[in-house]
Amino acid sequence: MTRRLLPLVALLVLAASVAGAQASRWVERTKADVRAGRGSYFDVVDTVLKGEQVEIVKSEARWLSVRTPRAKVGWIFETALAAQPVTGGTSDFLKLAPGDASTSATAASAGAKGLYAEDYARARGFDYGVVSWIEETQVTAEEMERFVADGRLRGAGGAR
Amino acid sequence: MTALPTLLLFAVALLAGCQNAGVGGLMISLPGPAGQALRAAAGVAPAVPGAFTDIDEPEEIELGRAVSANLGSRYPLLRDRALTRYVTLVGNVVAAESERPDVRYRFAVLDTPEVNAFAAPGGFIFVTRGALAAMRDEATLAGVLAHEVAHVALRHGIDDVKAEKRKQLAVVAVQQGLAQTRVRAFSNLIASAADVVAEQVVLKGYSRADESAADRAGIAYAGRVGYDPAGLRDFLQTLGQRSAQDASMARFFATHPPTGDRLSEVTPLVQAQAGGVRNPERFAAAVRGGR
Repeated sequence: MTRRLLPLVALLVLAASVAGAQASRWVERTKADVRAGRGSYFDVVDTVLKGEQVEIVKSEARWLSVRTPRAKVGWIFETALAAQPVTGGTSDFLKLAPGDASTSATAASAGAKGLYAEDYARARGFDYGVVSWIEETQVTAEEMERFVADGRLRGAGGAR
Repeated sequence: MTALPTLLLFAVALLAGCQNAGVGGLMISLPGPAGQALRAAAGVAPAVPGAFTDIDEPEEIELGRAVSANLGSRYPLLRDRALTRYVTLVGNVVAAESERPDVRYRFAVLDTPEVNAFAAPGGFIFVTRGALAAMRDEATLAGVLAHEVAHVALRHGIDDVKAEKRKQLAVVAVQQGLAQTRVRAFSNLIASAADVVAEQVVLKGYSRADESAADRAGIAYAGRVGYDPAGLRDFLQTLGQRSAQDASMARFFATHPPTGDRLSEVTPLVQAQAGGVRNPERFAAAVRGGR
């Protein structure tokens, strides 16, 4: 009896292993935001870095709901992830933090503030306030959903 | 004697376009004795470890900021928050159907009677006050913004930026050695690439193939979210009726393929996906204050 069950048990173990492998993805980009909904205008719930492993919760329309290494759950677009493990590492840009070239978090923060572009604008005599003004003009997910509904349009993320 | 570093620099800059992109890094490979002599004289190793020739998203966004600052020096920004929010809403709706819906697209209006729209790397999209005045409804605006989003989503112009990055990496490797290469190269990249890209989007425009691809993709994005995909065609028809001598049209005509050719290409696409909303009242309220 035990002998006859062995192939079945092996098959189940194999199936579980394959299912487990399918439930994971690895971050392929140097940095990617995990958001509260399927769209770039949703709030960021976590930021994942290249090489980090995430667990797939569900998928919809090329967006994947994932659990990050910090146990946050949110949506990320499929092209940011690879099916196979990816070697970690940051981009040239993320390594270029003023004062500390080794800390990607510091560099990411510097990048988020546009310090390199600001230096460029200053050197050329351009008004960087233009960029700041543009970046300050944001719309929320709620505004987007209302705008889509009022305009009798389709899509635009949703499904938080 | 003093000419040697300059000559070496020039030689590497020339060869920068011919280097091999090895696994995970840029290889500055000059064959034979010439290469050995160059490396020995310049004191550089043959590779810049960890330096990638591709342009990733954080780099693209930073470049987009610099290009936007450059554009802002050429045209004044229309600091109308309500109008900009409306344009941002329409733009985000169509961008959600693009190949890169996860890019944080930013939209702005330029305060000029010139009729035009621009896309900068990283998702910075500009439309002029003159272009808005030539539109009659939201579907037209959606069609124009979708075309610009497509330039970003399809990464048009990024090959030129990559070439600039390769050049900067090679030049700085010779100038300052590997320790400072990435830092200085990126700083140089932002400066030189922002100038190049700003000139491309404002003065030269994208290639004819890129413009056609953006027309096709833009029509598809607008149609998929429920706009009448004829919006872009209608905008082109309006512009096609304007004189080439019209000063507000000069730059548009100079940076885009002939309007008649574009209309011939897009009209069958529009006819294949007839239907969709146009929302003229909402457009009039947001853009013309209801007029």
